[in-house]
Amino acid sequence: MAREAFVTLATNDRYCEGALVVAQSLRRHKTRREIVVLITPQVSTICRSRLSVLFDHVIVVDVLDSNDEAHLALLHRPELGVTFTKLHCWRLVQYTKCVFLDADTLVLTNVDELFERNELSASPDAGWPDMFNSGVFVFTPSMETYNDLIKLADTDGSFDGGDQGLLNSYFSEWSTSDTSKRLPFLYNMHSTATYTYSPAFAQYGKDTKIVHFIGFVKPWNHKYDEKTGEVTQVEGPGIHEETLVKQWWKVWAEVQGLEGMRKTTTVEYKGAENPPNYGGQPDSVHEVKKEAQLKLESQKQHLQQWQSSNVDYAGADSFDHIQAKLDTVLQLDDTVNKKS
Amino acid sequence: MAEEAPALFTFEVALEVANKVGGIYTVLRSKAESTVEELGEDYCMIGICNERFVAMEVEKMEPSLPQMKRAVDLMREKHIGVVTGRWLIEGYPKVVLFNLDTAWDMYNTWSWEMFDKTGVGIPEHDTEAKRCVLFGFLTAWFLGEFRAQCGKKSVIVAQFHEWLSGIGLLMCRMRQIDISTIFTTHATLLGRYLCAANVDFYNNLSNFQVDIEAGNRQIYHRYCMERAAAHSAHVFATVSDITSLEAEHLLKRKPDLILPNGLSIKNAQCMHEFQNLHAIAKEKIHHFVRGHFYGHFDLNLDKTLYMFIAGRYEYSNKGADLYIEAMSRLNHRLKMINSDVTVIAFLIFPASTNNFNVESLKGQAVVKQLKETVDVIKDDIGNKLFDLCLRGKLPNEEQLLDRDHVIKLKRCMYANQCSTLPPIVTHNMTDDANDPILKQIRECKLFNARSDRVKLIFHPEFLSQTSPLLSMDYDEFVRGCHLGVFPSYYEPWGYTPAECAIKGIPSVTSNLSGFGCFMQSHLSDPEAYGIYIVDRRFKNVDETCNQLTDYLYHFCRMTRRERIIQRNRTERISEYLDWSRLGMYYTNARRLAIDRTHPEFLEQTRSFSPTGSVRLPRPYSAPSSPFGSRIASPYQSDEEDNKVFDDDDGDSGLHTSNLISTDTESVLSTATTPNGTGNDVISSTASDL
Repeated sequence: MAREAFVTLATNDRYCEGALVVAQSLRRHKTRREIVVLITPQVSTICRSRLSVLFDHVIVVDVLDSNDEAHLALLHRPELGVTFTKLHCWRLVQYTKCVFLDADTLVLTNVDELFERNELSASPDAGWPDMFNSGVFVFTPSMETYNDLIKLADTDGSFDGGDQGLLNSYFSEWSTSDTSKRLPFLYNMHSTATYTYSPAFAQYGKDTKIVHFIGFVKPWNHKYDEKTGEVTQVEGPGIHEETLVKQWWKVWAEVQGLEGMRKTTTVEYKGAENPPNYGGQPDSVHEVKKEAQLKLESQKQHLQQWQSSNVDYAGADSFDHIQAKLDTVLQLDDTVNKKS
Repeated sequence: MAEEAPALFTFEVALEVANKVGGIYTVLRSKAESTVEELGEDYCMIGICNERFVAMEVEKMEPSLPQMKRAVDLMREKHIGVVTGRWLIEGYPKVVLFNLDTAWDMYNTWSWEMFDKTGVGIPEHDTEAKRCVLFGFLTAWFLGEFRAQCGKKSVIVAQFHEWLSGIGLLMCRMRQIDISTIFTTHATLLGRYLCAANVDFYNNLSNFQVDIEAGNRQIYHRYCMERAAAHSAHVFATVSDITSLEAEHLLKRKPDLILPNGLSIKNAQCMHEFQNLHAIAKEKIHHFVRGHFYGHFDLNLDKTLYMFIAGRYEYSNKGADLYIEAMSRLNHRLKMINSDVTVIAFLIFPASTNNFNVESLKGQAVVKQLKETVDVIKDDIGNKLFDLCLRGKLPNEEQLLDRDHVIKLKRCMYANQCSTLPPIVTHNMTDDANDPILKQIRECKLFNARSDRVKLIFHPEFLSQTSPLLSMDYDEFVRGCHLGVFPSYYEPWGYTPAECAIKGIPSVTSNLSGFGCFMQSHLSDPEAYGIYIVDRRFKNVDETCNQLTDYLYHFCRMTRRERIIQRNRTERISEYLDWSRLGMYYTNARRLAIDRTHPEFLEQTRSFSPTGSVRLPRPYSAPSSPFGSRIASPYQSDEEDNKVFDDDDGDSGLHTSNLISTDTESVLSTATTPNGTGNDVISSTASDL
């Protein structure tokens, strides 16, 4: 049988919360397709184990692992790092067709019918409707396409510095091709549309199938009170419709209730009342990269300490800590085994 | 894609596959035949490629299993040197050997992945540990590829020996490869260090702060590798009860199972011949003793007992201290009763020497010369005697032994005089003054004086056929001795007493050695079988020493006939130590691992017909053992005493009830898992019985 899958992407631990909600929102609407998440090496083991409870496959993609062409292209254009990670989805050639969902989307109903569409089907972008928005799209994994995309990125770059520009350059015939590739806006309803065109939202909003929380502030940046279910939005450009944010948090709370989620939750997420608030512009490519880099640097230093026999065996490096690290994977493996 | 029929593949991973470093090589090598017999083509060993051994011991060939072929090819595409073929030993097992030197390019990537996933790093200077990382990642890589090539329903079991192969297990688990893993420690790293440091190990076992102890001894990373593997394994096993205790406290996981070490007795067993071999080998030792005690030779060789201690030179771990002290006490007791028995106690511990001791060599030369002179005179006398008798005359004494002969003999006898006492050590020790054994012998004043009933000879080199002193190899030497004495303090398993047993030589072991524990739990009267177990765990040193002295004294008081009967009984244990029996413990470990990961597999395969690639352990009722399967013969000692030397049935005192047949039961009871899923293992194995 042809294998088909929903694919999402998490480049750091905070986006993992989004990815978990995407998966849970698909599951609660009883999708019959597999659900896959691509993650980058920066994602912590704890998050990886949480992800693998909900996803059928957790696949680590490392840009540096990809072929020479991509490697070279990245040297020319380092700013495309995150974009390239997204392109990895074309390498999932074990699937015949996939639907990509950004980690900041929320599925409100069963959308399995998307698999009847062909590559590349997507909804128009609210800012420039002749372009498609790359938060939700139907595609066919192919190494050929992947290599072409890398080549294009290397030669022409991306006109908006992100994946959306690059993909629109590559699939430039989208706006002129047959209408079956033009997905209704309801499949990628930008949450900002609720106030930029509120009458339309009032008229059609109830039929929304997938919400896309575009913008700098993501639902997980807001404050959520688990007991009352109230959400206090943080200040920032782009306020989301409150009912939608509440729905997102409702699904998030469902995720926390799943087995295998709580016990591996770190102090960071202790209690759901006060999820980390990174405020400001947490999701800019620059910030993410910088933070990952810092983390990587400190980890490298830590390894160097081991390599020079300078180990804090009575403290931070005690076996209890090592064991706790092992257990996040081992326990997960055991639960998977028990499930099967 | 059509689902393949579920298959079971078994891998055994160790650095010492076709690569001799220490004891694990012996375990793997001797066990191979019985494992191959059980698992056939679906069994393969994984190790490293040591060119020196591979050239001699491995027949290279391409893998016959398509899955394995593909996995190996994928690795070769990435320029990893992989040798596949068969190990040229009994059983002819398949092997996959990785050339670590072709993988150094990957070291940084892999050590990073290991650190990222486990939090354990390797110091730059520890090349051995770094090689372990390479080996581990290559193993995990191979197993991962192999797993991917197999059908979903197939089950793969991999057993990893020692911390050196532990990274392979750890990475299989961290990468979540569906492999049922078993980790076997044959000793713990920290245990070895702590024992060597002369701490009161067993009494403090539960008090050690293991992280700190390992850290202070600069082995924290190795200890982490070992403990992480033990922690992550589906099944954790050790070789003996005593090591199990050690692991429980030092690695903080109680082993699920005990996997005792066996031997391949097929080649060592001589059935009725072993008594004769004892006599032949003993004669060779006699020969050495005559030379060694030249000028002081007043021993009655028929009343001389040879005892020995042997092993790696770990003075207190091997119990050499106890041995010398007990010999000193034995000497005293034998003197007290005016015994005519002489005990010659050998110590065979390779140490640093500057070649042989002149006195020792001289003794051998002098005795040899005397022997040659006597042989010449003997021939001469023989000729004369024949000539005279031919002429019809009966010769008188003077006619036979002429003056020339007498002078020759006198010259030899003067040379044979010796003013010093026979040496206590056969070699010149590099550090004579500080050698712990020599120091203790001096303190006990056991200088091989004529009045001493116990004489000590320290042979600080491996035995060899080509030695000018004691020209016999270890096996032959053991056969010629009367008693092996191994009162070890730290001995996770200890092959030495087992090697004695299969040759029919009784031995002393301790309840801190794995072998001793095993015997204690499997024989209700070990002494009757020539296995003396000294208590080093619950007694203090003085009591232990007295107990050992009692055993030795008791042994000295036995008649020759009693000793012959005892040797017959001892030899019977050998069948019990063969892998064909002890391999069953490994089978159970594998079943337990499958039960914990794929319980459905055991159920499926049970309903399967026993064809195809699924092999369940063969029933253990088949090989007949003298124990339990046969009715004891009635007492008929008188007849049998006449034919003691080819007597393989002389121990009429043996009752089958002497041997508790706990071999299967004890395994099964320990196999019970906390959640009770071990029951599958129990019921299925029990039905095989």
